[in-house]
Amino acid sequence: MLNRGVNYKIPRNLLFLFESIALFLMFMYYRNALDRSTIIYGLSLIFIIYISNLILSKIVSGDNYIFLIVTMLASIGIIMIYRINYEQGFKQIIWISLGIVLFFATYFIVKRIKGWEKLFLYYCLASVFLFLATLLLGRRFKGAINWISIGGISFQPTEIIKILAILMIASYYTNYDRFKEKKWGRYYLIGIMYLFVFFLFLQRDLGSVLIFCSLFLALQYIYDENRKLVLANIVVLMFSGLLGYVIFPHVRIRFETWINPWKYIDTIGYQITQSLFAISEGGFFGTGLGLGHPDFIPEVSKDFIFSAICEEMGILTGIGVIMLFMILVYRGFKISINQRNKFFRIVALGISILFGIQSFIIFGGVINMIPLTGITIPFVSYGGSSMLSSFIALGILQVASEELDIEED
Amino acid sequence: MFNILSLVFKYVFIVIIYMFIFSIIKLIYLDIKGIRPIPADSGTYLKLINRKDTLPFKVKEYYPLEDNVFLGRGNDNEIVIKDPYISKKHLRIVKDEDEYFLEDLKSANGTYVNGDRVMDVVKLNNGDRISVGQVEFLFVNKE
Repeated sequence: MLNRGVNYKIPRNLLFLFESIALFLMFMYYRNALDRSTIIYGLSLIFIIYISNLILSKIVSGDNYIFLIVTMLASIGIIMIYRINYEQGFKQIIWISLGIVLFFATYFIVKRIKGWEKLFLYYCLASVFLFLATLLLGRRFKGAINWISIGGISFQPTEIIKILAILMIASYYTNYDRFKEKKWGRYYLIGIMYLFVFFLFLQRDLGSVLIFCSLFLALQYIYDENRKLVLANIVVLMFSGLLGYVIFPHVRIRFETWINPWKYIDTIGYQITQSLFAISEGGFFGTGLGLGHPDFIPEVSKDFIFSAICEEMGILTGIGVIMLFMILVYRGFKISINQRNKFFRIVALGISILFGIQSFIIFGGVINMIPLTGITIPFVSYGGSSMLSSFIALGILQVASEELDIEED
Repeated sequence: MFNILSLVFKYVFIVIIYMFIFSIIKLIYLDIKGIRPIPADSGTYLKLINRKDTLPFKVKEYYPLEDNVFLGRGNDNEIVIKDPYISKKHLRIVKDEDEYFLEDLKSANGTYVNGDRVMDVVKLNNGDRISVGQVEFLFVNKE
């Protein structure tokens, strides 16, 4: 315990060193188009991350690693995005800073207010409201309606619904005994989840369908007492997966490009083949930042950021990113095991599963291990909604890592 | 110029990222090791008999015993257990000439050694069962 302060300095300083060198390199890369505001924003981001880690290690009594890991992931992401696209990188700096502010806000709000486990109905209503709003106000973007814009600010409601869904499932299983007494109480949650999946099918947002289904299935598998219901759920989901394949042409396209992308290299398989070329081009150590061609891949700063990282920073960095996610998910599970409050125990588990599933789906997708579905890597990909909601989820996880007194006298 | 820098720095980045991961894994390892700091084969300690997850408050598997140890609900004790049935300062275990003695500090719900309520001071032998509040400990003395 005495050398605790000394120990935490090492990763924090390494992170600082990494960011400083990378930022310096980026300023060299853009040396002709550099203005003062970019330098100020870049330096202030490094400063914010360092200070947040410092403050966090002082004030929280819970887990000190998750925020460090996440800021490392965000730093790798921002460097890559900044190198690919100057303006997106600039925006991403703002998103990360906002995300960190939201992280602290969530941490204090969730910790201060008691009784989150009693709001089952409100989580449901808020989610359904957001789904309806998306369907009515949303605009179609590459086959899926998942954006709404209000007053010039556009965001993806599904990102918020993910967190609401975790809170909802957790509050349901915390009050499971109470729900069980009602006539159809055992089937409330499964009904609501099918409703969500139905809405997502209407939006044709299949990546999110996958995330919601696996999240729900995992938590149901762990907490539901009715084993037959779990089995029935798996069968229904498999069946609806097949149905999706038959009904939606763009699911079929994804499947065919997964089986043999080379056949469609000029058309629908272009993206995935370019991604594979990029990864192989990089080799173990990468081409070096700014020396590869990640811009050949369409959508590179969002879904395919991992290929760009592999190309310019090497497969070893790619493995590093995967390892960071593994440690993050491991910490999440450990937090969940140590937590005594049942609600936060389930929430911590749900959030770790969310991070794990989401990163697995997209890592697997870009290396053509599983069929590709366009979702973002949490904390790494470019995108405001995804970044902010991931930081909110992390804030809740941070609260869950602390000892929440339930038997206070 | 930029190309040379970029080529050099790509190795530096990989080294830094792996050092970062390594230092975090090391910290986590120390953290996990810190959960059971008492090797079960030496010294004198209290061992928890209850299954840990049946108790709704934080309690460790092992508590090492030194020369003078207080147990209670208050934060100034050496062994802090937030059990509502345990008093603020509940009991004291003292070492005197290689013998351990348990003293009940006039606790509200009492201390029991092998089922008998401790009225004042009692000598502890290896294998004694000590129950305080909802918690039950085994006294282990391997010296």
